[in-house]
Amino acid sequence: MESEVIDVNSGALVVAHELKAPLSLVRQLALSLELESGNPDGVQRVGEQIVATSERALRQVNDLLKVARLDDALFELEPVNPRAICDDVVNELWQLFKFNRRELRIDYRNRRYLVVANRQLLHSVVYNFCLNAMNYGGEELPSEVSVTDRRDGKIRVAVRDYGPAVPTRIWREIKRGFVEKPVEIAMRPGSSGMGLYIASRFAQYMQADFGLIRHRDGTSFYIDLPVSRQLSFI
Amino acid sequence: MARIFVIDDDRAWEDYYRRVLRDFELDFFHDGVAAIAEMDERRPDLIVLDILLIGPTGFAVLNEMRSYSELADVPAIIVSSVEIRDEIAAQYGVVAALDKSTMTPRGLQKVVDGALKNAA
Repeated sequence: MESEVIDVNSGALVVAHELKAPLSLVRQLALSLELESGNPDGVQRVGEQIVATSERALRQVNDLLKVARLDDALFELEPVNPRAICDDVVNELWQLFKFNRRELRIDYRNRRYLVVANRQLLHSVVYNFCLNAMNYGGEELPSEVSVTDRRDGKIRVAVRDYGPAVPTRIWREIKRGFVEKPVEIAMRPGSSGMGLYIASRFAQYMQADFGLIRHRDGTSFYIDLPVSRQLSFI
Repeated sequence: MARIFVIDDDRAWEDYYRRVLRDFELDFFHDGVAAIAEMDERRPDLIVLDILLIGPTGFAVLNEMRSYSELADVPAIIVSSVEIRDEIAAQYGVVAALDKSTMTPRGLQKVVDGALKNAA
């Protein structure tokens, strides 16, 4: 009989690891509330951090559920304004970035405004790129969300960080345009292997190009989406 | 006031440590290299460190620290999401290895107080 070997890189293990980190923090924060008795500001701050951290974990669980339902073709493609999606993500994440002592900036340079995408899935892609930047951004350096026009007629939505280089095996996998299963980056909880897996699946569903650019001082993860022809009627 | 170096790359934990260990002087480091460099300048009374860090792991930091005679006896506490077996913790000479998912703030305070008292 063949012996079963536990694959330390199995998708389930990475997912469990990544969800354990925010859950552990939420529990610790809730328990530490008793230390704030008589300090309403402290209680409020801890409460805000609990909400921000648990929302992040819930969103990741929801994204995994969406991945499981992609085959059901429930997510329609429609004309979407990527700037509006990025604004929503930045508004949603600024507090989590603040608690992680990070800054998130936006840089919009596109002159064409609508892409063909699914609103929910594109939101998740940008959200996961941003979480990745939050985890790996360099000390005291901002992360940037950008929207730019491409010469090939597509619009690029990218998130750039100034963190350490992406490991070569991850780079190779993303260069293929697809992350087969969640893989742990740098062997740490809170790593974005799961986020990149989710982003790549959603990009594939939207028939968008998904990739990364390695800079000397960081990484940009991007998704290139086709411009919507709806624009010509405006 | 005792000086504690907290080495954890997850910044979200910083506020938590500030509140739970408010009776101590805390210095935060998000990687082991920066912490070791600072130890050359200022000797901490205690180290609280995670194991899965960006760059060298917490174990590498402990090994490095123990290799310097002036830092070899600095007590250290592991606080990590990774389960650390007692015999592994003992190999690295740590006072305790706490699991982030099961420890309590009061428990952490107790372990820190005990480690500092024993070192005094």
